[in-house]
Amino acid sequence: MNTELSDEAAEYGRTAQRAMESAGGDDLVQRAEREPDRRESLVGPVLAELGAWDLDPRGSADELEAAAALCRAAGWWALPYPVAERLARPVGGSAEGGWGPDGAGPDGAISMDGLIVVSAVGPAGPVAGLDRRWAAVGLDGRRFRAAPRPAAEPPRRSAFVTELDLEPLDGGPLDLEPLDGGPFAVKGTGGGRADAALGLVLSDWTLLGSLDRAIALTRAYVLEREQFGQPLARFQSVQFQLTDAEVERAGLEELAKYALWSIAIGLDEALDDALALRLAAIEAAETVFRVAHQLHGALGFCDEATLSWISRYSQPRRRLPVGRSATQDLLARSLGRRGLTGPFSEVWA
Amino acid sequence: MGEGAVALRRRLRQLVREHVPPDFLGAFTADPADLAVAQSFCRRLADEGLLCLAWPEEFGGRDASAWEQTVVREEMWAYHEPRGAQYMGVNWVGPTIMRHGSAEQQKLHLPPIAAGEVIWCQGFSEPNSGSDLASLRTAARRDGAGWRISGQKVWTSYATMAQWCFLLARTSKGARKQQGLTIFLVPMSDPAIEVRPIASMLGPHHLNEVFFDNLAVTEADVLGTVDEGWAVVQEVLAFERVGIARYARCERLLQAAPGALGDQWEDLPDELRGRWARMLTHCRRARLLAYRVVGLQDGGQVRAGDAATYRIAVTRLDQESAEVLAEIVALARTTTEDAVRFRRAVDDHRRYSVSATVASGSIEMQRILLARALLAAS
Repeated sequence: MNTELSDEAAEYGRTAQRAMESAGGDDLVQRAEREPDRRESLVGPVLAELGAWDLDPRGSADELEAAAALCRAAGWWALPYPVAERLARPVGGSAEGGWGPDGAGPDGAISMDGLIVVSAVGPAGPVAGLDRRWAAVGLDGRRFRAAPRPAAEPPRRSAFVTELDLEPLDGGPLDLEPLDGGPFAVKGTGGGRADAALGLVLSDWTLLGSLDRAIALTRAYVLEREQFGQPLARFQSVQFQLTDAEVERAGLEELAKYALWSIAIGLDEALDDALALRLAAIEAAETVFRVAHQLHGALGFCDEATLSWISRYSQPRRRLPVGRSATQDLLARSLGRRGLTGPFSEVWA
Repeated sequence: MGEGAVALRRRLRQLVREHVPPDFLGAFTADPADLAVAQSFCRRLADEGLLCLAWPEEFGGRDASAWEQTVVREEMWAYHEPRGAQYMGVNWVGPTIMRHGSAEQQKLHLPPIAAGEVIWCQGFSEPNSGSDLASLRTAARRDGAGWRISGQKVWTSYATMAQWCFLLARTSKGARKQQGLTIFLVPMSDPAIEVRPIASMLGPHHLNEVFFDNLAVTEADVLGTVDEGWAVVQEVLAFERVGIARYARCERLLQAAPGALGDQWEDLPDELRGRWARMLTHCRRARLLAYRVVGLQDGGQVRAGDAATYRIAVTRLDQESAEVLAEIVALARTTTEDAVRFRRAVDDHRRYSVSATVASGSIEMQRILLARALLAAS
């Protein structure tokens, strides 16, 4: 088991982060918020330059890693674009029961620009105002064609999230009622589960990038800001809060690499691994943003502080498709009695 | 981890199955039979060359890879450390003597450790010197060609069963408190040493006071250079950097819970099963953080911040998983032998987990190390 990203993928991530900085960096999300209709044109060129849409994360482990690194860079800048969803797009040759050639559904008539992982309750995604064709996959593995509704709120409040109208693609009924076992039971076909795993994992790599940034911003702030004649970083209470946040971030990074590896080698339990990652990601985000805001003081709420933007635009990644309690419930139901795969999966003797 | 590590895991499990009773909960109980199990298991491991796997070949080891050492740490801790107290001799006393000991000390001490025949204790902490170890007061004064040691150590695990003590004492007053400290290797059988067990919730043998009343030692008992023991202590702490694979026992117990509870598992509240799933996630997280440190060390890198991150995550996991497991067994009827064994294992885990954030470097010390690394990095 080697979960480390390849040197090439890591370098691609660094290149992407620099390219996004050159394209506007922190200003991109602020401009997109002011001019939501321009968000595709604001970030499209830099993503195209980076070859983002040539990546085939379903095609090879190398490209999957590159896609993850790109999502992490997007999270660092709170890039106002659903990079993870675009990269998770269904393509020909997806697992059994797949989407068919050229991203077509079983009806053979459609191709998709992106994939949104949705819950049975209140399907939504950060895709407001983009003229794209979207597929959706439920956490139960069912697939849909998704039509974003017009945004009900401006991006300042919605972070570009809008509700979706769904139409089933797998030939089944449009049934958003709970499956057996609870409101978020994980069942469904292998292919759909693999789609859900990929979508969740790329989204969480994006959130990881935002947590990287929140820690970096907070570190810089406590080193610079002085109170009582010394930098905040000298106070042990400040140091300890920062370490608690970093432990969460570092743990998330390792789980993110593991879940990516699980998808890359095609483990049956890739969705369990993605849900475990998702749970850790939500928890880590809670801690990291709470600490980052606390240590920034009132400045952290203000538009002049980058943290404020990273924090606000992390919200869709933290809340969708479902939040902490529902994710935990989903994971427990999916695991049943067998637990997560590990060295002690089947041992009691 | 490699094929060698996988085969090693399989062999260790087989040995545990064959030589450790299923209800074994560690060597540190009131029942001498448990200590006997550990002593016998160590000799068995030694016979197969598995006790000192990590040691260099010239000292009877196998130069095991970092990953093989990780497997040993995981398997032994998962099964309640059937090596008993001997892991200390194997993990760091032996390696420290290899690096700093005289030829005579190596000849005297290394073979018994390698054969699984000797228990060591660590004479570091004192009543007024815990995390601030360098402030210790146990004093060694020159007496002719040798030394006389007086003072008190505390929290000394296994002192009642140990034959030797790796003792840190002050031999002079340096400009800094880290200077003037010296390590002595002293026999616990000396009548000038008195051990007083401390009754605690952790069970017998874990905590003791050790009093040194004018203990006579010679130059031959000094490890390394007089007054320069602090550097050796730092090395000892480096050996322990990854520390105990606490996540392994947590993971084994959590994974075992549904089987041990049988049909009752389905009767647990959904929320509790959710917390169980969350703890499994935290086990994986801690394990992967440990693997990160191991991988870095294997590549010749030592980063104190990464090790501290792991230690913080794993000690918290130890306590949080104990709470979840305790709640699970509290809701189950122990109708089968398996369920009884599981309940006892969980209870042992819960009691011992209380010390996880205190023992072997408190969580506050780990936070200080991590903060230092975080805030110093460019």
